Amino acid sequence: MRSFGIEFVPMELFWRTTYYAVQAEHLGYDSIWITDHFNNRNVYVSLAVIANYTEKIRLGPGVTNPYLIHPVMTAQSVASLNEIASGRVICGIGAGDRTTLDMVGTEMEAPLRTVRESVEIIRRQIARDKGEYNGKRFRTSAGARFNFKVDDFIPIFIGAQGPKMLRLAGEIGDGTLINASHPDDIERAVKQIRRGAERGGRSFDELDIAAYTSFSVAMDEKSARKPVVPVVAYIVAGSPPTVLDRHDIPQEKADGIRKDLADRNWGEAFGAVDEAMIDSFAICGTPEQCIEKIEVLFKTGITHFVTGSPLGPSVRGAINLFGLEVLPHFKSE
Amino acid sequence: MGYREFVKSIPTTMRELLAERLIDVMLEAKDGSRVPSSLAKTILFYWQREQLASEAGLTNLLEAVSYADPDGAFTVMEGLGLEELKLAFRPTN
Repeated sequence: MRSFGIEFVPMELFWRTTYYAVQAEHLGYDSIWITDHFNNRNVYVSLAVIANYTEKIRLGPGVTNPYLIHPVMTAQSVASLNEIASGRVICGIGAGDRTTLDMVGTEMEAPLRTVRESVEIIRRQIARDKGEYNGKRFRTSAGARFNFKVDDFIPIFIGAQGPKMLRLAGEIGDGTLINASHPDDIERAVKQIRRGAERGGRSFDELDIAAYTSFSVAMDEKSARKPVVPVVAYIVAGSPPTVLDRHDIPQEKADGIRKDLADRNWGEAFGAVDEAMIDSFAICGTPEQCIEKIEVLFKTGITHFVTGSPLGPSVRGAINLFGLEVLPHFKSE
Repeated sequence: MGYREFVKSIPTTMRELLAERLIDVMLEAKDGSRVPSSLAKTILFYWQREQLASEAGLTNLLEAVSYADPDGAFTVMEGLGLEELKLAFRPTN
């Protein structure tokens, strides 16, 4: 089954993000993902308000990380959210991003081990497991369990980009949030997830595989492409050499963008983003163009498509356009 | 709510359009944080039920834009030819 999600960055007032979330539900989106960064509004406060004004749409953090939020707290948060949005909660977790962790003096140590143990702890907590947990990164005593019950299953999606994390996601996740937009990158990612599922002795078909894209839609292509430029600048600046190489982006060009972003030379940084970079790292265009691109992505084996920031030149307009012009194409199939 | 009587006089066919335009103003307003959270939640209540164009929904929406962007609201009313409402509309300081 194909499903469609939307990401919100809670930079705006709570009622605006909630307005957009309700709009998405009205239009038939299936999931809402709220990013978790310390410099924005709190992810679970945002989700709790959204849960209060929605009825059907699935919702959860997209993604939280175990370096700033201990997995027992993530478990507690999603379990509590489930009381407000029973059976609708999903939990996205990843290793986080180095830039944000650096800002608060936190190192991204052993990301694979940390994410693996976090997923195990979240599941144990939700199941109210009585035993103690002794991992290499986390430890919980036998008494560290909820004093309340969670009746619903809360699927855990692992946010991943690199091959090892993608394989881990396939091995232990209920789903994966692939942090990419280009079909070649998504195809490679799906292969890794499949390998991970095989390693874990699981059926690949049981997994919910989402392309978590940088997305923008507008009535004309030019208007759709413009808002993705800053997002693409950050993606290029943060991409490893293998990814840059795959998209024929010279390392020195990416280094230049990274330096300009660090120096807050926005004009230089954004000016260096070219059309090919946009096509490599974003899904954008008119509704018809977006349908074509999304069709290609679904052929890679994904089951879920998430429209991530910036969404479009106007958030409200983009949600409407996607909901009215793009979603019906897929939902009617 | 001082706007309710004026909202009643707006033709039903125009209420949908007015609600649409006022929501655009609300979502783009620089002073959105001036809208009291209780009023914002009331608007979400009507939005969830797709009743922002109802008398009660529009009345609350007008109250909210009077905080968030009165000038934007004036422009919308002017554009829709809602002169009576425009005269009655007051920014909330």
